[in-house]
Amino acid sequence: MSQTVVINMLISILRLSVPVIITGLGNMFSVRAGVMNLAAEGMMISGAFCAVLGSFYTGNPWLGVLCGILGGLVIGMIHSMICVEFGGNQNVSGLGLNMLAAGLTAFFCRTLFGSAFSPAVESIQTTNILSGIPVVGTILSQFSPIFYLMILIFIACCFLVDKTVLGLRMNAVGFNPQMVETAGVNVWKLKHMSVIICGALAGLSGAYLSIGQLNTYMDNMTMGKGMLAVIAVQMGRQHPRRIVWIALIFGFFDALQLQLQINNVGIAPELIQTIPYVVGIIALAMDTSKRTAPRLMAPYLKNRYKF
Amino acid sequence: MGSQTSRKNMDWTKILSPVVIILIAVLFTSVLMGIVGGNPLEAYFCMLVGAFGSGSAVINTINKMVPIAFAGFAVALSSKAGVFNIGIEGQLVFGALGSALAGIYLTGLPAVLHIPICILSGMVFGMVYAVIPSALYVKKGTSLLVLHIMMNNIASLLITYFVMGVFPGENRMIAATDPIQPTAELPYLITSPNKLTIGILIAILAGILLWLYINKTTDGFEFRACGGNAQAALFSGIRVKRYQFLALLASGALAGLAGSIEVLGTYHRLYDGFSPGYGFDGIPIAMLAGGNPFGVMIGAFLFGALRVGSLNMQLKAGIPTEIISVIQGIMITLIAASYIIRFAISKATKRQRGERT
Repeated sequence: MSQTVVINMLISILRLSVPVIITGLGNMFSVRAGVMNLAAEGMMISGAFCAVLGSFYTGNPWLGVLCGILGGLVIGMIHSMICVEFGGNQNVSGLGLNMLAAGLTAFFCRTLFGSAFSPAVESIQTTNILSGIPVVGTILSQFSPIFYLMILIFIACCFLVDKTVLGLRMNAVGFNPQMVETAGVNVWKLKHMSVIICGALAGLSGAYLSIGQLNTYMDNMTMGKGMLAVIAVQMGRQHPRRIVWIALIFGFFDALQLQLQINNVGIAPELIQTIPYVVGIIALAMDTSKRTAPRLMAPYLKNRYKF
Repeated sequence: MGSQTSRKNMDWTKILSPVVIILIAVLFTSVLMGIVGGNPLEAYFCMLVGAFGSGSAVINTINKMVPIAFAGFAVALSSKAGVFNIGIEGQLVFGALGSALAGIYLTGLPAVLHIPICILSGMVFGMVYAVIPSALYVKKGTSLLVLHIMMNNIASLLITYFVMGVFPGENRMIAATDPIQPTAELPYLITSPNKLTIGILIAILAGILLWLYINKTTDGFEFRACGGNAQAALFSGIRVKRYQFLALLASGALAGLAGSIEVLGTYHRLYDGFSPGYGFDGIPIAMLAGGNPFGVMIGAFLFGALRVGSLNMQLKAGIPTEIISVIQGIMITLIAASYIIRFAISKATKRQRGERT
């Protein structure tokens, strides 16, 4: 009896950590390249909505996932145009894009579907291929294919960051763009690439939220998960492994919150729902990683955009 | 001579760039309305009629303007000291809670005493809610934006908890507290076409005081120095961190005032989810106005008109009111890109001058 409770809790933690992990891994690239990405929330909601749109109109959830990635990528492109190309304020741009994406998705949801949520669409909540495996098959098939995609992305990120020249350059661009330019590398191309990868990954995690975990879009369905990803990157000091650990901790509290609500322990559900945010703030308060953060605030301007 | 012309140039771009930003935002929204099959001109006409079509509509617009103006003041004040308070939405609902509690549970006071106490209670609640993020920012340099966004999320959950769980009203059908005592209700200026409270006078007074404080006092000068160049201010002996902390707290108090006026003047009780995002309206307004309180008031009037008019627009032209948050978003995004807009304007004006001579 207690064994099944533990296993269910573990499954719940893993499933709830997925959005924070994927967005966090994406955000890591952006932060490493020296672009603070507060727009993660907006990229996720855009990805979630576009995924539902794609799945709704084509009937194929995989095309939906692709649309979701594109939805996040578009926001990422706008963010990188403003912050990297035009030397804009990263924080303000992130804030604006969050509101813009939330507004656009809510607006289109109402005009297309007539309400604050979409109709049920084709989704990919389980991986049925894996159910044939003995013993663990029933557990493994409970996860969405995006969960397995996430594991691949994680391995790729670790490899890219630690073992390749590209990863090294991405990191250097955040710390000292001038030096990288002197070494003959195109600074802006690297920065654009990092932010756009970030948008694509955040879009994927949005797609997971809408058609990997559920089968519908709702207004405000990201519920601060993008911000938790931002915190996870800061606390994890921009390394994939540490980011995943922090995201799993957030996932634990999210699962705990859900369990407490289901079991009705006599505490008001609103109070229980604040747990992930409170944990996020405590995590930020405990964070001491200022020294290792790249220089996030200074935009590196092209000569032709200087006064 | 050369430096003079360049300074003149800068002034031009400063005035022009908000205009350009608003124009682009309007254009973008029109395209959006066109995409979903609406007629932008008709939609804007419905909006204008809804906001200014009758005396009662104008008063409605002014009433909506009040909380937005306070939210704008709150952002403007903090941004003058070089810190950026976007936790206004959370502070606003806590201010409303503070006023509602003082209004409901303090009995037997005369109105002359009761109203100021309620307003003060709202301001204190808003300020207290700003303490944790402000202290973390000043002591540890934690990202203020992330903290504030988390605090906003927490506040919207907590207010539901307080309204539904701790102080529920007699009437369980509506998600609201009991009505406040009659002595705590703000008196009316006009009641004939529609009700207008003294809230607007408080807002104007606050705007003037804020302008005087920022521009005409020594404290205000040091305040602005922190926002202008924090390092230079630090080296000239100004305690930057202290000013920034105080600015954030004062900003929280102003945000609390916004919620307070809404409860005492408009609703006379605390509804769950009474604010449709006044706190977020304040952000683009204060930024476009460059922190000038009078500019904020003009912006608040426009956004009030937008909020009132958009209801009519939804009814008549079928454009959902969510368009407001699109407009806010596009404005803030463009403000972020304002460097390139100013650059483009200055380049265009330079080219024009070059052709003439």
